[in-house]
Amino acid sequence: VSAALLAPLGLAALAALLVPLLIHLARRDRQRPIDFAALRWLEPRPKPHRRPHLDERALLVARLLLLTLLALALARPALLGGRGAGTWLLVAPGADPAAARAQAPKGAQARWLAPGFPNLGQSAPEEAASISSLLRELDADLPRGARLIVAVPAALQGVDAERPRLSRDVDWRVQPQTAPPAPPRPPSSPTSAHAGPQAPTPDQAADQAAVQTLVLRAAPELEAGARYVKAAAEAWSPSATAAAPDAGPLSAPLPNAARAIAWLAPGPLPVAVRDRVAGGAVVLLPVEATVDGLGPATPLWRDAEGRVLAEGGGLGRGRWRRFTRPLTSEAMPEVLQPDFPARLAALLSNPPPPPALVEARAYHPLVGAAAGSPSPQDLTPIMALMVAVLFAVERWLATRPQRADTP
Amino acid sequence: MPPAGPPPLLPPDVRHRLQGLKLRARRAAGSASGIHASRNRGAGLEFAQHRAYEPGDEPRLVDWKLYARSDRLFVREAERESPLTLWILLDASGSMGQADGARPDWTRLDAAKALAAGLAQMALAGGDSFGWATLAGDRPHLLAPGAGGRHRDRLWLELATLKAAGGFPSAAQWAPLWSRIGAHDLVVLLSDVFDPKTIDLAGRLAGAGREVLAIRLLTVEERDFPFRGAQRFRDPETGEELPGDGLQLRADFLRRFGEARARIGAELDTRGVRHVEYVLDEPLDAPLRRLFGGKA
Repeated sequence: VSAALLAPLGLAALAALLVPLLIHLARRDRQRPIDFAALRWLEPRPKPHRRPHLDERALLVARLLLLTLLALALARPALLGGRGAGTWLLVAPGADPAAARAQAPKGAQARWLAPGFPNLGQSAPEEAASISSLLRELDADLPRGARLIVAVPAALQGVDAERPRLSRDVDWRVQPQTAPPAPPRPPSSPTSAHAGPQAPTPDQAADQAAVQTLVLRAAPELEAGARYVKAAAEAWSPSATAAAPDAGPLSAPLPNAARAIAWLAPGPLPVAVRDRVAGGAVVLLPVEATVDGLGPATPLWRDAEGRVLAEGGGLGRGRWRRFTRPLTSEAMPEVLQPDFPARLAALLSNPPPPPALVEARAYHPLVGAAAGSPSPQDLTPIMALMVAVLFAVERWLATRPQRADTP
Repeated sequence: MPPAGPPPLLPPDVRHRLQGLKLRARRAAGSASGIHASRNRGAGLEFAQHRAYEPGDEPRLVDWKLYARSDRLFVREAERESPLTLWILLDASGSMGQADGARPDWTRLDAAKALAAGLAQMALAGGDSFGWATLAGDRPHLLAPGAGGRHRDRLWLELATLKAAGGFPSAAQWAPLWSRIGAHDLVVLLSDVFDPKTIDLAGRLAGAGREVLAIRLLTVEERDFPFRGAQRFRDPETGEELPGDGLQLRADFLRRFGEARARIGAELDTRGVRHVEYVLDEPLDAPLRRLFGGKA
């Protein structure tokens, strides 16, 4: 732990120390003269030895201390390396704290690998947080010599896609699985953008089913393009005997259960459809539709040249998707491709959650990051308290009744 | 009886201790004209008057010869002229207003007033007449000698309003003193006697046949010089100031002031003035006891 000044120029305020010194020196001349009739026998010294004389030493000392502390407070003192060196035992939620403690050396600082790094004596933190981020934070805060032991369960939740890179080697202790892994985190908000439609994963089967009940409503001038969408929806059906997709003109009523709506009409989205989207449905729009007021759009589908074919965004609890080209084979040859139904299904389905579950053994942090400078601990509140106490002392000294004279 | 004023000029204990003391003049004592302290009524030197007998008069005071002639009782009264007149010369110059830092309400002048009151009390007890003169400013202020309680009250009244200011009067302004203070009078001078003019006045009075006593009043600070650190000293009469460090000035001052005290004492001795020193922290009756106590 070392002390430092964050604003060393504040020490210039130390010049104010001269003021109380001058005040206490100047009192000599304001002294009341002493009546002394026997003055004629007082020999005036030719060279009076003018020794600087300070009155009220205690008060002067209090005032000097007060000003020094104020100047120091202005210079913003801070303690560097607030967390001590030594051995740190970090237990990730899900790992067994008792087993981790048994393996760690005596005297190690035992903490949960959770925001705020609570003591291991407390109950296991509920909140799941990014273990990679926590590791990086602690690594940056710890002084250079500190040794880090991290006890993790066999499977880790909430990690980055990359192995973390720390400034020190970490004693990475993987415990055998004891508790069932926490349920996967809820998907991030629908507005979050992702790389692009991917092949459906088994996790998304339910979502896929919702997409299969696509309700198609098309304006007469867009009937031609609607054929491609309808064909794709028919292609999703598991068997040929299944019912044909619900397709019709714009005036046809929307079934209540519709989770996916293809609203192929120019102009703005009607309020009724918009409410459906806000309620959790996904809507597919043609390039002719205007999307003002639907929020920011993100490219979702690019062709081989990188040109955007479809974009989309979130609206309430639902999502909207819009083609950026007319649904014709000339403008958008992809509609003729055999994978168009799968692409369309991916476009309409929920984005997959990022991979966050990893086997702990494979997640041993790498070494080689630049060592972070530990964040300084600001001492200003302590200084303010000391200044207040000293001020009270100074006032008491200055106003106590047995004082002889001003100032 | 002392007036019920705020601070009694003469504290009761001092007043009590003064009871045994009598004014005593060397020249008067043992002279042919008798002891001045005698209060034998009827044996006075000068016949004053006859008055009618009143019950309670001593039989020996009755003029029996007159009774034989007139068949009526008369009492012979003699006006006894005291052989002693006391003059209290009170120095009221600015230097008398000096007090000690430790006791700022007890100035040299306060002590002098109390001593004057004590002297008046002694004169009153001895049946002597007393007068006083305050010496300050342009001319001395005099009150003719008298006797009795009312004269004492007058003294107290005047002392109550007396303030220390100005310098000691110069020799030209002493003329009233010469004309009023008679030969063989007892003169008591209450002063710090720092001013050479004071010594001169006392010496000339003594040289002219008066018996002069001097009580030299010193403050504690003048005797001990207890100052520490930087101080500014001011002469209350001239206003002259002298800055200095108390500790540094001390040894030199004590030596020089001691020499000055001895020199003043020697000079007073030479000129026939009996004198005592009184420092403000001593009991008030001490100087009077030294002057008038014992066989002297």
